[in-house]
Amino acid sequence: MARPAPQKRRPSSSLKPFYAVLGALALAGIVLLVLQLRKSGGTPATTLTPVVMSPEQLQRVPGISKGQPNAPVVIMEFADFQCPSCGDFARFAEPLLQEWIDNGTVRFVYYDFPLVQIHRNAMLSARAGRCANEQGRFWPYHDRLYGQQQSWAEQPNGKAADMFIEYARLEGLDAGAFAECLRSNRFQKEVSESYQFGTTMEVGGTPTLFINGKRMNQRPTNRAEWEELIRQEMGDAAPAAAPAAAAANAPSGDSALADTATSDTVRR
Amino acid sequence: MSTTPAGVPADEEYPEHADPPRSRMGVALLSLLGLMLATYLTLYKLGYIGTLECTTGGCEKVQQSQWAFFLGQPVALWGVVGYLLLLIVSMLGLQPRWAGERWVALAIFALAAVGLAFSGYLTFLEARVIHAWCQWCVVSAILMTLIFLLSIPGLRRAR
Repeated sequence: MARPAPQKRRPSSSLKPFYAVLGALALAGIVLLVLQLRKSGGTPATTLTPVVMSPEQLQRVPGISKGQPNAPVVIMEFADFQCPSCGDFARFAEPLLQEWIDNGTVRFVYYDFPLVQIHRNAMLSARAGRCANEQGRFWPYHDRLYGQQQSWAEQPNGKAADMFIEYARLEGLDAGAFAECLRSNRFQKEVSESYQFGTTMEVGGTPTLFINGKRMNQRPTNRAEWEELIRQEMGDAAPAAAPAAAAANAPSGDSALADTATSDTVRR
Repeated sequence: MSTTPAGVPADEEYPEHADPPRSRMGVALLSLLGLMLATYLTLYKLGYIGTLECTTGGCEKVQQSQWAFFLGQPVALWGVVGYLLLLIVSMLGLQPRWAGERWVALAIFALAAVGLAFSGYLTFLEARVIHAWCQWCVVSAILMTLIFLLSIPGLRRAR
């Protein structure tokens, strides 16, 4: 591996034009990226629409929550496990929100809103989520259902149920108890109540999100928009979050508020 | 080892009569383009860019699908790593000292081959599984194909 001792070098003259082109290209690329970042950073804050959400409703229809019960910002999501946009939200936005959930700023509450008219496994998957919640493992199971959505979405009910039971086993749940839960009609009532709760709030599609009792008419698309929105809501001293927070002790959850992206819509 | 194909020590500047390998310049330029593209997609995936500039309409569907992650990291981030390695190795391979090194040619070829295989896999997913096309992913696949083709002359030279 002996190599001649390095000699004094200067850039080869024949490489200079190449370096000039490369530098110009790099500069142009950096400028374009900065422009893209500034454009997205300048997006107006998400507009919100206040809705009527009584403490009684929030207490009566429990969602499934994660985060501190007294978090100043409560985000509610009405979602359907078979809805592709809900899957996108779960994979993209929920990880962004996790840091605010972890530091106690945000409590995130999941409400079932199964679009049974267009999604053959919507109700079954909603009940599967509840069966996982019964064993205190809703969120990992939620991630699993969205992660595998394309595998089970169009399967016949029986086959989908088998897959859900297998997912439960993979997530370390008691598969026997889970299967028994899923094959009974357990949680049909709770899921239906959650759906009805959504309809009273004029949820027409999924995912629909509310934040501190206000409907999010446009879903934030990046971290900066979420930051802006959460900062704004922290400054608002959200009274609507309080009653929801009071209900948040069981793993099966409580209620809250969230944003909206109406990609899957059903005429009612 | 550190000799050019002509048997001359390779850590000198290029002699008057010799030009740096143009195919390697091409690899470096295309790698830089790919690096910027992958950085753009990574920034989007990490939430720093709101909406992708997309004429095919399928970019966000592809980018937000479950296949947009590989080994726990955004696919675009792997693209950043791959293109950055290609850029570094090809720039090294343009220096007279290393221009004739066989390992440089092999490294560029191997990186390009892995990139091409991965691009093929992603293109297959777009066509047959996700059923949506992300124009930037297609552009990246084309870039990687060109890089692979341009890596072949260097491999022949370094035999």
